[in-house]
Amino acid sequence: MKILVIEDNQDLLENILTYLKRGGYRCETASDYDTAFNKIMSFTYDIALIDLMIPGGSGLQILRELKSARPQTGTIIISAKNSLDDKVTGLEIGADDYLTKPFQLAELHARIKAVYRRNNLNGDDVVQNNEIAIHTKKMETKVNETLVDLTPKEYDLLLYFSSNKNHVLSKQTIAEHLWGDYVGHLDNLDFVYQHIKNLRKKLIKAGANDYIESIYSIGYKFNVNRRSS
Amino acid sequence: MKLFTKFLLIYLAVSIVVLGIGGIISYHIIKDEIDKELKFEFLDRIDRVTYLLEQGKTFAKFKELDQDENLVIVPLDTFKENNTQVSDTLIWDDRFEREEKNVKVSAFRNINDTTYFISTYGNMIESNDVREAVISILLWILGLQVLGAVGIGFVVSGPLFKPFRNTLNRIQNFQINEKEYLKAESTNVKEFRDLNIFVEEMTKKAVSDFNNLKEFAENASHELQTPVAIAKGKLELLTETNLNEQQYSYVEKLETTLNKLSRLNDSLALLTKIENHEFSTNETVNISKIVKDGIDAFQELLSLNNLKLVTDISDSVILKLHPSLAEILWSNLFRNAINHNIQNGKINIILNCDYLEISNTGKELNTEPFVLFERFKKGEQNSESIGLGLSIVKRIVDQNEMPISYTSEKNWHTIRISLKSVKTD
Repeated sequence: MKILVIEDNQDLLENILTYLKRGGYRCETASDYDTAFNKIMSFTYDIALIDLMIPGGSGLQILRELKSARPQTGTIIISAKNSLDDKVTGLEIGADDYLTKPFQLAELHARIKAVYRRNNLNGDDVVQNNEIAIHTKKMETKVNETLVDLTPKEYDLLLYFSSNKNHVLSKQTIAEHLWGDYVGHLDNLDFVYQHIKNLRKKLIKAGANDYIESIYSIGYKFNVNRRSS
Repeated sequence: MKLFTKFLLIYLAVSIVVLGIGGIISYHIIKDEIDKELKFEFLDRIDRVTYLLEQGKTFAKFKELDQDENLVIVPLDTFKENNTQVSDTLIWDDRFEREEKNVKVSAFRNINDTTYFISTYGNMIESNDVREAVISILLWILGLQVLGAVGIGFVVSGPLFKPFRNTLNRIQNFQINEKEYLKAESTNVKEFRDLNIFVEEMTKKAVSDFNNLKEFAENASHELQTPVAIAKGKLELLTETNLNEQQYSYVEKLETTLNKLSRLNDSLALLTKIENHEFSTNETVNISKIVKDGIDAFQELLSLNNLKLVTDISDSVILKLHPSLAEILWSNLFRNAINHNIQNGKINIILNCDYLEISNTGKELNTEPFVLFERFKKGEQNSESIGLGLSIVKRIVDQNEMPISYTSEKNWHTIRISLKSVKTD
């Protein structure tokens, strides 16, 4: 997958690149309006990450040009502005998603995958993790053709894990992904453990390996190379 | 008092004083003029009597000349120099039964060696008549002036003062968050033009100051989010390296702290936005739907936290409230109820046309409940919450004039918001 990251902050750019390159993506960067404009006009990308505030112009303008020139490119706005107006404008112009700074890299990664699935595979993608198959269109999970009955949040959690497989995800990250802003204010994140316990139980019961690895009981890793004994 | 009324009263007061003085002066001038005229006539009569006497005419009866009843011609035994005297004298008037001021002319004339005393008096018009005439003239003038003043008043308060009233209206309707300054309207009256230009400049400055302040608050918040984003990213990358348990727990703690920082920042930016009245639109919102959707979305979270929810929610309660504010209001209340709950706790939610009430079990308060609406006030100082949730709620309800109450009894906390001021009919 080829991704263009339009972001003027070098540190943030480096974070995104490091994370995405580990996932095997081909990433190109643009730090100002002119470079970004040249790149979107000259090359085709699967996904473009667009910061709204870039030197020399507006990210929204880039988005407009990209949508008219190459409508098949998936677009995700990254903005420090948590304002509804910008969100609405961005999505109206045709952005596929909108992410507010500060975001988790794992979250960004999951969104990139979701946008890619929607745009390129008509959403009818089966995310396969060994014996676990996630049918993203029907929102179903099967283990060796056996349907697993997951709650919406458990399904979400599994998809999030598989989007970020072999990455360490902290409880905080998981809670934020599942419950958004709400959870940011909760003192007790034990319910994350509950979620994971339930998910793990259901998967094992359906005959899957236990891929969810606990890291010092602080974070979790979806380790597809792990074989339960 | 209206400007017009005031103008009319001052005008009348001045008119009355001026007309009063003018009346006295007119009275005297008219009276003097008449007296003078009378005096000349009497002098002329005396000259004619003298002439007739010189011609040898004798006067026996009264009214022999000009029908003058008061003419007196008396030959004297003694000799007197020719002399003429004009004086005012008070004469009893039978008709009016009082003494009237009359002009009297008396003269001594030597004709054919005899000295005659010739005198006559009279008044052409009684001073009373003069006074009455003057007063009636003045009253007429005063009446016409009042009419004139009222007429002018209508013109002044009507078309003439129209630009002024327009400007006043526009100032009253001026809202700083609409970002529109009051452009000076053209008028050919210098004072009004000056006023309009002044208002334009003042509102322009107010709007630009307001925008600067808002921009600063927003920019500060945005600028802060990028460094936080960088730090968060670095921490995520750090967790990918081989960390031991202690290192990993430090990273986790840092992550939590950074999240708190960014939430704090978001909440402060939101408070500023609300305070700047950026949400004051005339939209309506279905609060029933927001509450129900909110509950549905968090059903799983509630059950994971072993919280029991009892609801009594009326359908389609429509409020005159900005939809975003309604969302924020509800989510803060609901989050508050979940966050400060206890193990196996309960939440009760009642929504009807009159009020929204959310009560939850929780730890007993050791402060007055109302204190928790203040910024950064928390039930427990060391908790992870940032202590802005309820101040945001308070700010929203205050701005929309919705009365709010917070009561706590043992381990039950109840927040009730009256919806009467924002409900639609």
